[in-house]
Amino acid sequence: MSLISVENVDFAYARDQQVLDGVSFSVRSGTNVGLVGESGSGKSTILKLLLGLARPSSGAIRFEGETFDARDRTFMRRYRQSVQAVFQDPYSSLDPRQKVEDIVAEPLRSLRIPGDHKRAIRAALHDVGLPEDAVSRYPHEFSGGQRQRIAIARAIVARPKLILADEAVSALDLSTRIRIVELLKTLSDAMTILLVSHDLGVVAALCEEIIILERGKIVESGKTRDILAAPQHPYTRKLLASVPRMPA
Amino acid sequence: MTAVAATEPRRMRASLTLSVGIVLVGLHVVVALLTLVWTPYDPAGMAGGRLEGPSLAHWAGTDRLGRDLFTQIMIGSRIALTVGAGAVGIGALIGVTLGILAAFATRFLDDVLAAAFDILIAFPTLLLAMLVVAATDSASLFSAILALGLAISAIVGRLTRILAKRVLEMDYITAARTAGTSWAGIVFIHLLPNIWPTLLVNFALQFGLAVIAEASLSYLGLGAPPPNASWGRLLQEAQGTVYTAPFGAIAPGLALVTLVIGMNMLADGLRDIGDPTRRRSR
Amino acid sequence: MSAVLEIENLSVRSGETLLVSNLDLTIGENARVGLIGESGSGKSLTALAATGLLPPGLTATGSVVLDGTEVIGARDADLVPLRGSAVATVFQEPLTALDPLMRMGSQIYQPVLRRRRRAGEPAARADIEAEVRRLLERVALPDPDRIANAYPFEVSGGQRQRVAIAMALACHPKLLIADEPTTALDVTTQAEVLDLMAGLVREEGMALLFIGHDLPVVARIVDDVTVMRRGEVVERGPVGTVLARPEHDYTRTLVAAADAFDRALGAAR
Repeated sequence: MSLISVENVDFAYARDQQVLDGVSFSVRSGTNVGLVGESGSGKSTILKLLLGLARPSSGAIRFEGETFDARDRTFMRRYRQSVQAVFQDPYSSLDPRQKVEDIVAEPLRSLRIPGDHKRAIRAALHDVGLPEDAVSRYPHEFSGGQRQRIAIARAIVARPKLILADEAVSALDLSTRIRIVELLKTLSDAMTILLVSHDLGVVAALCEEIIILERGKIVESGKTRDILAAPQHPYTRKLLASVPRMPA
Repeated sequence: MTAVAATEPRRMRASLTLSVGIVLVGLHVVVALLTLVWTPYDPAGMAGGRLEGPSLAHWAGTDRLGRDLFTQIMIGSRIALTVGAGAVGIGALIGVTLGILAAFATRFLDDVLAAAFDILIAFPTLLLAMLVVAATDSASLFSAILALGLAISAIVGRLTRILAKRVLEMDYITAARTAGTSWAGIVFIHLLPNIWPTLLVNFALQFGLAVIAEASLSYLGLGAPPPNASWGRLLQEAQGTVYTAPFGAIAPGLALVTLVIGMNMLADGLRDIGDPTRRRSR
Repeated sequence: MSAVLEIENLSVRSGETLLVSNLDLTIGENARVGLIGESGSGKSLTALAATGLLPPGLTATGSVVLDGTEVIGARDADLVPLRGSAVATVFQEPLTALDPLMRMGSQIYQPVLRRRRRAGEPAARADIEAEVRRLLERVALPDPDRIANAYPFEVSGGQRQRVAIAMALACHPKLLIADEPTTALDVTTQAEVLDLMAGLVREEGMALLFIGHDLPVVARIVDDVTVMRRGEVVERGPVGTVLARPEHDYTRTLVAAADAFDRALGAAR
């Protein structure tokens, strides 16, 4: 069964501004998916819908077979616990006035998840490769890459099934980027990642499946390896040709 | 990197500012509390000759009715602190609540509240005070506090709304929502701690302005009636004799200035040590 | 070959903290040099020091000779004409580099006017407007008249960056400094802007100092690279050599990271 499925979703901010046009795809448990598009492709809108911050104009989103309904509190609680997010900007995504332990603990506290929170926090920090004494420090004491690790610790602390990663490594320097991608790759043994990104290299390194989005429509989707080897749609070809490559 | 080098002297300056602020405000608070149980002389009775200069018996001299000025200034501290705390308290309660409401509200309610703040800010405090006096049927310390509180609430409301909107745009708010945090949780865990320092500095500023505004209201008969010895009234009374007995104006003036400056320094110091990003790291 | 920019023993300090240390960098006429480093490596500060635009509180020592003029210790008034004629800079975020309240045509008009006055060329309104139009066409903007009349927020990020490049060209600089000029852009737009810049630098006979952290992006447009880390140069040389046989550990890390993403993309070219 698919973890999450988006079925024929349309979205428009105004009547003449169609942002998503009949978008359908699904994410299966254990298969990382990369949602690739440029500005105006509608990828951020899809993310908003999946985060429950907006509702589709038509069509449906299902989570483990159940229709997404923001008003259904029992469903939302289960959904929030199962689906967590990591954002692009590691500076804006951490509350500057909270200590790391409070930041990481937020999902546990807000969802009133039972169990030993301190231990869960330590485990999450360990999983993302941060030292234990990080708990009592503030975000500004960390570098961009370390801050992104804190954000990832917050996302995994409640042991979700799916992580929505919104350009999660785009703001990082190259050598930090590869380490965070490796971290996400390791974490995806235990959970599934839906990475929204414009960076084909990062998607190729992390995701087994890829969805190419252009102006609100899916133009191509399938196994990452197949699509990179033989892109069918002209837009996919253009995108691929634009990626800066290392000189041979 | 750039900030690190500058942090240490700034932190020392912050703690110095804070200490001086605490001493100045604390002095006024102690004096105000003391007047509840003891004053050097009867504030309303003749204590010596008229318009005497400062002496060991009368530290600030006497006024034109022969009352001890130092006693009146001490009582003035109590009135000033009551007015400042009362007006800022009312202003903060109404202003912060409405400001946060506006930041969260739908477009329409936000526009209405924003317009209300702007109108109230443009409204002369004096007129507001007269309306409050008319509504409460008497000019008293309370009517002055209420009028100033309302005026402050508009300023605080507008500031809160802007600050809150800026914070609500941050990704950590979206992160909190996706973590399942309720709206109330977002307000108390993320929003208030992030806008509080700026509000606090504004409260201190408003506190000082309220003390000064109360003096004007008292003069016009819209504040605390005699025998309440507000510093503003003492200044007014000393106006006519400022050449013959200048200390009658200097003493309450000094009291006013020390409280207002102390309040501002206290707030500045609190802001600097309260903000983790301004603390020295590692 | 004479150098457009000659930096010797440059150090930048903030109080006691050393941000750039003993940096040497020479850019000859028509040379295309890449300055690679991560955030905080001092690469952008080096560019600012080269144009005498270090923010207050930072001090530079050493020597920076820009088109024959010593920049360090010079009065700002002496540097102003230099910034117009010898060097122009294109920044990462065109939205903040352009004045939001000014039509983009007018923003290009000013530097063209200044250059023509300085060069003693005709500076009538019609001449300048014609040149503004030519510049907008030069950076391959479709419908230049519409763009000239538009405000920065009304066009896409890629179009804004092209306008910023047109502004830089308006000065006919000998050296173009590009500080992460494509980082904020989409992949396809980035490729177009890189190609555009490469063509313009060649055709206009400018030297290029391209600053970036993304190895393949920088490699695409320059001939030589200098790699910086924590304010120090750790490696320099022709792009091909440095990428194929990195000497310093840090460069190796960078090349390994870039190679990893490149490998993931596979044979697709």
